Amino acid sequence: MAMHPRESRYGRREFLGRSAVGVIGLSSLGTLLAACGGGDGGAAALELASPSNPVTQPLFDDNPPVASGLEPEKGTLRIYNWSGYLWPRIKKDFAKEYGVQVEETYFSTTDEAVAKISSGAVDFDVFFPTTDRVGRLIAGKALQPLNHDYLPNLRNVWPSVQDPWYDKGSRYTVPYTTWTTGIGYRVDKVATRPESLSNPYEIYWDEANRGKVYLLDDSRDAPAHMLLKNGIMNVNTEDPEDIELAKNELKSLIDAVNVKLSTDDYTNVPEGKAWVHQMWSGSAIGAQWYLPEGTGPEVLGFWFPEDGRGVIGNDMIAIPRNAKHPVLAHHFLNYLLDEKHGYDNFVNYTGYQPPLTALDPDRLVSDGVVPANLKTAIVRESDFDVAMPLTELSADGQALWQNAWAEFKAGV
Amino acid sequence: MSEDAGAAAERPVVDRRGNAFWASLALPGVAWLCLFFLLPFYVILCVAFGSVHPVFLTPQPAWNPLSWDTRAFEFVLEGLFTPGAAFQVVFLRTLAYVAIATSLSLLIAYPVAYYVARHGGRYKGLLLAGLVAPFFISYLMRMLAWINLLQDDGWVNDVLVWAGVLDGPRNWLDGRASSVILGMVYGYVPFMILPLYAFLDRIDGRLLEAARDLGASRFQTFRLVTLPLSGPAILAAVAIIALPMFGDYYTPDLLSQSPNTSLIGNQISLYIRGGQQVPVGAALVVCLMAFLAVLMAYYLVVTVRAQRRLGG
Amino acid sequence: MTSVAGAGAGSARNGRLREWIANPWGKPRVLPLVTVAYLAWSILPILIAIRFSFNEGRSRSTAQGWSFRWYWEDPDLSVWADPDLRTALFQSLRLAGIAVLVTVPLGTALAIGLTRWRGRGSGAARAVSLATLVTPEIVMGTALLLVFVNLLTFVPLGTPAQAIGHITFSLVFVLIIVRGRLLAIGPEYEEAARDLGASRLQAIRLALLPMLWPAIVASGIIVFAISMDDFVISQFLSSGTNTDTVPVRIYATGRTAPTPALNALATLTLAVTIAFAALGFLLWWLLKRARGDRESALEHLAH
Repeated sequence: MAMHPRESRYGRREFLGRSAVGVIGLSSLGTLLAACGGGDGGAAALELASPSNPVTQPLFDDNPPVASGLEPEKGTLRIYNWSGYLWPRIKKDFAKEYGVQVEETYFSTTDEAVAKISSGAVDFDVFFPTTDRVGRLIAGKALQPLNHDYLPNLRNVWPSVQDPWYDKGSRYTVPYTTWTTGIGYRVDKVATRPESLSNPYEIYWDEANRGKVYLLDDSRDAPAHMLLKNGIMNVNTEDPEDIELAKNELKSLIDAVNVKLSTDDYTNVPEGKAWVHQMWSGSAIGAQWYLPEGTGPEVLGFWFPEDGRGVIGNDMIAIPRNAKHPVLAHHFLNYLLDEKHGYDNFVNYTGYQPPLTALDPDRLVSDGVVPANLKTAIVRESDFDVAMPLTELSADGQALWQNAWAEFKAGV
Repeated sequence: MSEDAGAAAERPVVDRRGNAFWASLALPGVAWLCLFFLLPFYVILCVAFGSVHPVFLTPQPAWNPLSWDTRAFEFVLEGLFTPGAAFQVVFLRTLAYVAIATSLSLLIAYPVAYYVARHGGRYKGLLLAGLVAPFFISYLMRMLAWINLLQDDGWVNDVLVWAGVLDGPRNWLDGRASSVILGMVYGYVPFMILPLYAFLDRIDGRLLEAARDLGASRFQTFRLVTLPLSGPAILAAVAIIALPMFGDYYTPDLLSQSPNTSLIGNQISLYIRGGQQVPVGAALVVCLMAFLAVLMAYYLVVTVRAQRRLGG
Repeated sequence: MTSVAGAGAGSARNGRLREWIANPWGKPRVLPLVTVAYLAWSILPILIAIRFSFNEGRSRSTAQGWSFRWYWEDPDLSVWADPDLRTALFQSLRLAGIAVLVTVPLGTALAIGLTRWRGRGSGAARAVSLATLVTPEIVMGTALLLVFVNLLTFVPLGTPAQAIGHITFSLVFVLIIVRGRLLAIGPEYEEAARDLGASRLQAIRLALLPMLWPAIVASGIIVFAISMDDFVISQFLSSGTNTDTVPVRIYATGRTAPTPALNALATLTLAVTIAFAALGFLLWWLLKRARGDRESALEHLAH
């Protein structure tokens, strides 16, 4: 088998140490090349998108969009989503308006969701992918192209996300929400606030919060903060040295504060289980609704780098290829892109801000949606100019990160 | 399953036919186990020795053993046999947790089973109901009950603070090994008590009377007769809870959430459910199975030997 | 006066203590303590958890009045109102029902067949079924997940896959219980029936089954209970929230911000299991009484 070009960077010892990672990556590359040669009709080549390398996703003859002018199907619209990420009223209203049932199924990690969607063993009508995985889902034909005739509301969102770097022209996806990854904390519990530190990421190591420090249970988000702490701004690095560094930083948190892992940031912080929690901005805004009776939102704090050079992202909505109700699903996507529905979903339930042009970020505090102490959790279109999204990694890169993550999670 | 009515004449023929009849009665169950128990093990092997889909990174099993790719396996073995490597640390931790939890369980289970079986008296039925009750309460619900009690403002802290054992509430769920191990003991101990009880209840009373008649004290009777007799039952009870414990991942997930207490089951769960390197997860499963098979083989050898000794 | 009495009691206690140290197994005094302590330890937390399901307030650690709020009164958060919790309850019941209906006949036939069948295959088949007993659930869960996703793709994840998983791991319990009974009965009754001219099937139906019924019912209770209890297989083979069972729901929300509705859900599950078991025991007792056997149901289960 030929060597992967990047393999030559590894020293012999390192190569041995990571052999399986490398070889799994290599073997997949081999099959990928075979696939490009036309041997495997199932999959196409994958181009890794990033803001500096925007990608127009390919269309396939055997995976056409639904035709225009069809009536939405009846039956049950099946949604596959994170929990707490869609206001139940929206589902109820949509169901009533279209005379259908809406059923929502939750996943807890992207890994799990992508594994199930791509296995083809489940059939959902609506799915919420993330930027670091969507390219693979498209190349593997797990998603179907969208018919924009059904999506007039797409023009309601920021122009930049109508034509995003991961899917130029929104061929397969429409944007759903935007968020940043920062540090949530309990103002009333921590001795030191992150913003008072010269390197705010050091807050994770503050032993005063031992047992109350959480990172997001996500193999990309958690290491990203370790990289940023060390001034490595490329959060999508595949350099083994960077990965090693991030891994060691993560491991040092075990001894320092017995760090815990969870994606339930929106309840852990208000419930007081966590005093310091790596947190998505939307969870910070949503956390105010999970505070116990008698506790006000002023106990919540959210830090995001002042210069804006932190992790940012937007989530999206797509329609799996084997959806049983594709037209109805298009209508649902359009329903969510509606200005009123998007806003209601945000301020009543999720706390995750939709990229609606009509939504004025400057008014969120005065409108009472976001408490003044959480205004750092508000996302602006211009934030995307400086902040870094998590992009898709190569197979090798993913394997390297996953193994580093597994090693950290082993508590070595 | 057509049954020949006039087959009574020749005994041997009948037997052979009878045998076929019994075999056919067992067939659906055997087929079920082949299809949904044995075959899946082959699939695990094919995945562990297979590759991943170039785009999705989902597993692509190699069905033909001749084309098996050993690299995921090598990765796992290297991790298991390199001192200080993640897989080894987690495996040793799992081993330690299982050993401690099993020993503690035995320390609780044996006296309880012994008492109910030998001295239950007229409360035996009631006590037995108490022993069987946890079977009807789901493991997760029992863990939930403990999470309730162990919270910062839960009753465990209330009681300990009230009794003066603690100065202030302690965060029992902050990722300490003791919480996880005690959770495991709590969860698994009922499964150990019942087989022990079943055995101790069956010991022939006349045997013990004979020992007493020969002048042995109660303790000597226990030490010289009951305990040696219970050897195989203890071993069986240990096997019944220890082997499944090796696959536990939910107890640490629920009671700790800290990397410090993660077990081999957590690593398997991460790789299998994580989706990008399923072959690594499958290889871990194969290694775990191989290890457990060794334990099982040891158990069988010991049991067979003990039986032979008793027989001889 | 008092001091004398106290001293007397003290010396008596000392004497007993000395006696106990010399011979701890003399008369079992510690054992009942251990046993009662164990039973309290194993059952009290459950009772406390049940108590909080009736809490009027939102707390799961502070007693706040009594109500059925978390069962059905709360319009959004009660078990009845929250579709996720309700679905979980019904999914658990559905799977347990399927498991009992399929596993009990399948396992009974397997037990009869394997006990009477003298062939090369029978030992191996028995070993395989016993192996399911000690296989960690995560191993079986992984194995089944991979087989349904990669090979037997016509079995979709969700109820079908979960039901197959439940049947597979509960089969061995039916085998053990029914086989134990069969060995106790011995082949004489069947042979007698055969001598009287019954066919093999008739002999099973007329002579064997009536004697097996108590064991069959007992195994049904066990299958129901372990199916309700299962977490790993249900989680691995779930297709999503709509096929999550009660334990999976407890796992998913037990770590986050559960309300007493989760306790209520667990309590309902427990109630259903106990009701099913009670019904089974009643049936068992009736069948047993018809046969005039005095062995207690619990002992039968334990053995």
